[in-house]
Amino acid sequence: MTTIRRFCCEDLLRFAPVNFDHLTETFNMSFYMSYLARWPDYFHVAEAPGNRIMGYIMGKVEGQGESWHGHVTAVTVACEYRRQQLAKKLMHLLEDISDKIDKAYFVDLFVRASNMPAIKMYEKLGYVVYRRVLRYYSGEEDGLDMRKALSRDVEKKSMIPLKRPITPDELEYD
Amino acid sequence: MTSKPGLAGGIPERRVRPIWDAVDSRQFKTALKLSAALLAKHPNSPYAIALKALILERTGRLEEALSVCLEAKELLHSSNLNMVQMDDLTLSTLQIVFQRLDRLDLATQCYEHACRKFPNNLELLMGLFNCYVREYSFVKQQQTAIKLYKIVAEERFLLWAICSIQLQVLCSSGGEKLLSLAEALLKKHIASHSLHEPEAVVMYISILEQQARYEDALDILSGNLGSLIGIEVDRLRLQGRLLARACNYTAAAEIYQKVLQARPDDWGSFLNYLGCLLGTDFSWSTSGSSQLCSSDNVDFQGGKSTNLPLEVFDSRIESALSFVQKLQMEVHDGLARCPYLASIEIERQCRLRGKTDAKLLEALLNYFQRFGHLSCFASDLECFSSTLTQTERAEIFGRFIEISESSKHSPLKKLGQAITIFKLDEVFGFLTVLPVEELVETSTKMVDVYCKNLVLSSDLDPQENMHGEELLQMASSALVMLYWRTRCYGYLLEALLVLEFGLNIRKYVWQYKLSLVHLYSYVNALPLAYEWYGTLDTKNILLETVSHHIMPQLFVSPLWSETSALLKDYLKFMDDYLREAADLTFLAYRHRNYSKVIEFVQFKDRLEHSNQYLAARTEYWILQLKQETNTLEEAECILEKLDRGMQLLEVSSDEKLNSLTFNEDLQLRPWWSPSSHVNYLSEPFDGLSACSRENLFKHQACENGNIVRNVIARKSLVPRLIYLSIQSATTSLKETVEPNASEKDANSNEELRFLLEKYARSLGLSFDDAVKLIFEISKGQRSFKDFGTDMVVGCMNFAVFLNAWNLCSNHPLLLHQDGVNLISWNVVENLVNTCIAEQLICARRVLDGPGSNLPSLVQLITEPFTWHALVIKSCLRSMLPLGKKKKKSGLSDHLNLRHLSLVSNSIDCLSNGIQKVHKWLEDQMNGSEDSRLDILLSQVKVMQSETGPGSILRILEECASSSHEELGERIYGALQLWSSADVIRKLVNSQASLLLKFQDICGAKLKMLEVMKRSF
Repeated sequence: MTTIRRFCCEDLLRFAPVNFDHLTETFNMSFYMSYLARWPDYFHVAEAPGNRIMGYIMGKVEGQGESWHGHVTAVTVACEYRRQQLAKKLMHLLEDISDKIDKAYFVDLFVRASNMPAIKMYEKLGYVVYRRVLRYYSGEEDGLDMRKALSRDVEKKSMIPLKRPITPDELEYD
Repeated sequence: MTSKPGLAGGIPERRVRPIWDAVDSRQFKTALKLSAALLAKHPNSPYAIALKALILERTGRLEEALSVCLEAKELLHSSNLNMVQMDDLTLSTLQIVFQRLDRLDLATQCYEHACRKFPNNLELLMGLFNCYVREYSFVKQQQTAIKLYKIVAEERFLLWAICSIQLQVLCSSGGEKLLSLAEALLKKHIASHSLHEPEAVVMYISILEQQARYEDALDILSGNLGSLIGIEVDRLRLQGRLLARACNYTAAAEIYQKVLQARPDDWGSFLNYLGCLLGTDFSWSTSGSSQLCSSDNVDFQGGKSTNLPLEVFDSRIESALSFVQKLQMEVHDGLARCPYLASIEIERQCRLRGKTDAKLLEALLNYFQRFGHLSCFASDLECFSSTLTQTERAEIFGRFIEISESSKHSPLKKLGQAITIFKLDEVFGFLTVLPVEELVETSTKMVDVYCKNLVLSSDLDPQENMHGEELLQMASSALVMLYWRTRCYGYLLEALLVLEFGLNIRKYVWQYKLSLVHLYSYVNALPLAYEWYGTLDTKNILLETVSHHIMPQLFVSPLWSETSALLKDYLKFMDDYLREAADLTFLAYRHRNYSKVIEFVQFKDRLEHSNQYLAARTEYWILQLKQETNTLEEAECILEKLDRGMQLLEVSSDEKLNSLTFNEDLQLRPWWSPSSHVNYLSEPFDGLSACSRENLFKHQACENGNIVRNVIARKSLVPRLIYLSIQSATTSLKETVEPNASEKDANSNEELRFLLEKYARSLGLSFDDAVKLIFEISKGQRSFKDFGTDMVVGCMNFAVFLNAWNLCSNHPLLLHQDGVNLISWNVVENLVNTCIAEQLICARRVLDGPGSNLPSLVQLITEPFTWHALVIKSCLRSMLPLGKKKKKSGLSDHLNLRHLSLVSNSIDCLSNGIQKVHKWLEDQMNGSEDSRLDILLSQVKVMQSETGPGSILRILEECASSSHEELGERIYGALQLWSSADVIRKLVNSQASLLLKFQDICGAKLKMLEVMKRSF
């Protein structure tokens, strides 16, 4: 029961039941609005009957040459609507846009190394751990950079795991 | 950004770079030094001067920064600068500083001047456009964009102009004929250049749609330009909407069918499909240009029944059913609920048309069999419940239970179904009519099912939701209902304990935390409520949507530092956002996402008019005044910052109050307090009417709006009223009259009277009626008991300010028969005595349960009593000027003596009143912590029978004590640590800390009054 549509500012006023989740960050306004201003196709919300917000995905497309890629900044689902593969639907949507509209080579995302349920889910969706980013989260917890190649990366070069972990200052993008 | 490579504002870049580096790394001293050196070499370079201003601003030297900026501006205007020196880099640097100094107008002037001088410079014109974006000057934006477009006929500049036109139409009073101008501009451009950006097409279609030119819009959409819209489903939805608005329902239904074939789970599109098919009378959202993002679904559930002839209706329903069945066959993942809920909606439509067969029930049963185990089942069905009769609800409920009992699902699915059934119990309104014993039984069962199924969650990661978490939430809610019905405090305590038990096992359940915030607030344990609120990590936009869970309670509490922290956070968030909103709008312009431009401006408007924002600004200053009233000078200093109270009068003008927005997310509030002004538990239990779901939210919209408006209007007057009251008290007792003073005083007095009238109006009274009312109460002819807290505090405030006004212009009612003696002092004193006496008589012990008068007492003492003390202080200052304590004789001395005794009586009266409250607070805290703990524990442990408070606690205790390691290390460990006594002890301590805080405030006030007394 999912009407998936572009996210709009007014949704910010109704997403509390989703964002109260302890692993979902509530960013400042310029963060959300910069995403909306720059990559509106990468910011989608899912609605249930009664216009309840079920979850949303926000992301962007960036990089140069073969590292032109879609990036998942956040994907989250309210507890009432979990275990229904909604995150999968949202991820597919973003992958589809990266693949077909923006012709990106791969999609990547960061996840807390301790967030096993999420890591398992991404693995099921075809993502692999590309590299570990040391103390990525507030200088405390490691992050995993996970990737999935898109059709343009025929040989799936973008997702061959790196051998050694990197530090946040070695990251190419913020 | 420089116009010439290697040069920055005419200065070689290598000389400037180190300054920027120093600024970026916050080495401001170094930056200043470098800047001085640069200025020595280029004393007349506006860029070098602007850089200096920027550094000064960063170091907090705001005035200097402004004057240096003005120097640069002067230079730009006066001398014959060349293009290099008046480049965008110079201007944008100046702009940054001006913006931070809140002088956007000056930045605009600089750009305007530069553009006049170099009218064909694209960079400068873009900078000017940006200035107008920041100032929300839509007309000037449009003119500038057109200039840009004339210089280079680029699509983006044309669209900048189109957006500016849209903004005039949608956000200001721009006439609709501007739309045809926009259309003409676009048409001309398309003829020569076509369009290349999807968002440009969206804007074009929007312009046509707003003129009701749907057919034209559809032509564009289905032509080449339409193919620019990349996401196919978005294009189809837009097409469906345009067709429906053009009343071409058949074609629209076909388009929605296509959407559903691509997205079979799209409920919104299904509703649109069915609405179009049946020609239901609905209205489409007409919001401007946001077709691609806003939810453009119709309000279908509220839609009227269709007017189609019966046979046409039947055949359409037939085709809808077969389409939906086809969808059901095609979707194999077992997760798409839409095609099945669609069957229910179709049957509901038949029901609306007067058909009463059993198909609706069949469809519901089918839905339960498939999705009954899902957490969202009950909320999916919520909107259908009103279609069912009470008998049908009972029947379907019974059938659900049968299905669930006989199902051979996995334990997890069975648990899911059991939870759904409990939820429906509530949705269908059964819980409210259940006899008390059965309600106890149901809530006990919920907790029992939770405990018995803990083992299902043994292997879950702590990050994951546990199975059955909702049960504790529901049990707690049922316990609150039991409290409402029986008034037995034990149930309320159990409601708390159940949630604490759940959080002890898994600390992340925000639903429990939110409920605890309300429950702890209600039982006078506000510090604990605040603590739980803190764990929700509410920040940024959530401050706007969810701080209503705690903010109103804090405003009337003695927790000043917590209130202040929350207010500061909230105001900072709003101010920051409002400051940067325009820059974000410009970002949308730059990235050619034109529909977002419109959306951003509308959203900024919405937040700017937030009722909470207005209320918070007022409360923030009132709090300052409450806190800083030890000396009159401190209060005056705060009032000075507020432009003597005028500032708040401006922010709450009638115009602002009439355009208030309500952005709070009230859906998450507990059923018993659907808005912060409503608490059913404080009213007698009235069964169905209050808590049936349909009625719950009725309170919210309309009543809430008016209450909020009145509160803001009233409170925003207070600082100015205080200021004028202090003035009035001073004037009335002044020994020497300054030249020209009397006219000024007369004006002040007139204004005071005018504001008192406004204040009375916000209480729902005329000035004369308000005077009459307080006069009658002071005479004992009426009682405060007839009114709620807001009115009591309001009347007290009115009396205090009226007395101050009366010092200079006597009101006949408030003048003694001798024509001299002012009895408004006595009125205030009588009111002080009456309200304290009445409040204390009916005040319950905090320990005995909710309903104590703590918030009223806090408000009385920290607001009207405090304002009255300020008036007295002002009188004292006039009567006993420093260094003039020598005895005088004559009339003024006589006047002084008479006033002195009035003032002295008033101090005694305030002192006595506060003393009584102080004593009451002391009595509350009598006895040890343990004895208070025992009293509360006895409420939940007193009954050992099967029902009544205590049975649920017993299940929790048993669960904790008999837990096994099979529950997994985490759950087992948590259960071992569970202690209900610890929870109650925390509650007792929290209540004590609240009382103590209030007692401290009372103590400080008493001390202050004592000092005042001793001063003469």
